[in-house]
Amino acid sequence: MDLALLAQHALNGAMLGVIYALVAVGFTLFFGVLDVIKFSHGDVVMLGAFTGLATSIGLSSAFGSVPPWIAVIVITLTAVAAMALVGALMAKFLVLPLHKAPTLNVLLITLMAGTVIRESVRLFYPQGSNPKPFPRLLPDGAVNLGRLTLRFDSAILLAIGVIAIVGVHLLITRTRLGLAIRAVAQDPETASAMGIPFQATVLATFALGSGLAALAGVVNGLYYSEVNFSMGLLLGAIGFSAAVIGGLGNVYGAILGGFIFAALQTIGAVALPIASAYKDVFAFGAVIALMAWKPAGLLAERSAERV
Amino acid sequence: MSTALLDATGLSVRFGGVRALDGLDLHVGEGEVIGLIGPNGSGKTTFFNTLTGFVFPADGRVTFAGEDITALPAREVAKRGIARTFQRLRLLLELSVFDNLMLGQHLSLDHGVWANIVARGGLRRSLEKQRETARALLRYFSDSLPDRLSEPAGSLTMIDRRRVEVCRALIRDPKLLLLDEPSAGMTPDETRELMQDLQSVKAERPALAVVLIEHDMEVIESVSHRCVVLDYGRKLCEGSYSEVSQDPAVRRAYLGVEDE
Repeated sequence: MDLALLAQHALNGAMLGVIYALVAVGFTLFFGVLDVIKFSHGDVVMLGAFTGLATSIGLSSAFGSVPPWIAVIVITLTAVAAMALVGALMAKFLVLPLHKAPTLNVLLITLMAGTVIRESVRLFYPQGSNPKPFPRLLPDGAVNLGRLTLRFDSAILLAIGVIAIVGVHLLITRTRLGLAIRAVAQDPETASAMGIPFQATVLATFALGSGLAALAGVVNGLYYSEVNFSMGLLLGAIGFSAAVIGGLGNVYGAILGGFIFAALQTIGAVALPIASAYKDVFAFGAVIALMAWKPAGLLAERSAERV
Repeated sequence: MSTALLDATGLSVRFGGVRALDGLDLHVGEGEVIGLIGPNGSGKTTFFNTLTGFVFPADGRVTFAGEDITALPAREVAKRGIARTFQRLRLLLELSVFDNLMLGQHLSLDHGVWANIVARGGLRRSLEKQRETARALLRYFSDSLPDRLSEPAGSLTMIDRRRVEVCRALIRDPKLLLLDEPSAGMTPDETRELMQDLQSVKAERPALAVVLIEHDMEVIESVSHRCVVLDYGRKLCEGSYSEVSQDPAVRRAYLGVEDE
């Protein structure tokens, strides 16, 4: 295989990796602050994508033709804000009331919530069971670097994703909210003794994770030019796997896990050229092998020392 | 009696059938240092937990600086100026020393999201100021700690962790400091050193009141103005160290000494 083709695959893999990382960070944040798995997360990705789609339709029916870059910004911000709100509401009314209950109950209730979201989109969005075209808002062109083709849209989406991931890193490490999230994740009791509001921190964490899910949904829609009501199932499974590979509770692990999963899919697609449809089978199989090798994940959350 | 800072009256806490606190009255004046002693299970830590909003009493009330704080949750109590340490150290070991200290003053931090985006210069200055405050406080307790602000708290020795925890409580400039057995896990020399360092902080903050739970009677004798002895959630007696240590009931219950 020549270098240009390899670079092309690496670029596509990086694109997928960014999407998966954005989804996985949500899983790991929720687990970090409340030790819960929120199984509706994939469907929030899908709802974010549909919110973006509906916003773009609303925009063009209200204002006629809108410059595409304004449309992209409005769509993204609307979807992110709407899902942040949805995430905070779900935390407030579904997850926090079950805080003292067994975590399995949270898993069940969010699984149900995810199904409700998915089926509602299928039933109530006009012809929701069909795949929907997502508007192509990013410039079409491409630059040829030797034999490597760099599409402008991929480059822009990659940049958006990387900026979001760096933004999350800065938020977690540099801000007051980030310190509160890290403190609540490690020891909620000590955090509240230090004056950190537990519930507000949890709500903000769920808003953050769900906003990132919406971003992943919109980026996914812009990249594939198509969304459908069941896209959240696979994205949710991948995001969850990525978070677990990296070590649940560790933000950097989730990002790493997202890129590893994308790399596995890409390798699967390249190594099995006659059967690239099996790339997910290959990638999930590799995840099973990874789990057997490192049951706690690659960057496991260090268990608190007891003194 | 000195000006009342904290007044607990008739505090009762029950865990199932056990009376962890049974009608406890305690008065803490401004600037006072009180030694709280009693056998294991006598309700000392429960008393701290009740004051700081971790446990809510079945009966009785707590007023702090004239305000009823009985039903306030932990973070509200923290806001009003009661800081504490824990018997089993509760530093967040994966966070840096500086981040742990910042937790102690989380309420007064101004580095929100917007400050990070639009006011980075001001943010850097305020962070540097906070680092300087942290270093100055740590310097009371150790010469080497101020240089280790960015290391994870988990990398410190036991005594350094204890010192950082005390600084985390002090950095917010509390009116009342609750120390839950600071000598646990430390050698007598280390304890004595910690107490001396604490005394020098106290010398500069005369209004700071301290309640200290401690098993080491020498420590109690050297630092406390007044001793309160608990037994089965009740106040067994109260007074200066020499009064308390001569009390026959105390000698029976706590020191395990039979009257001859």
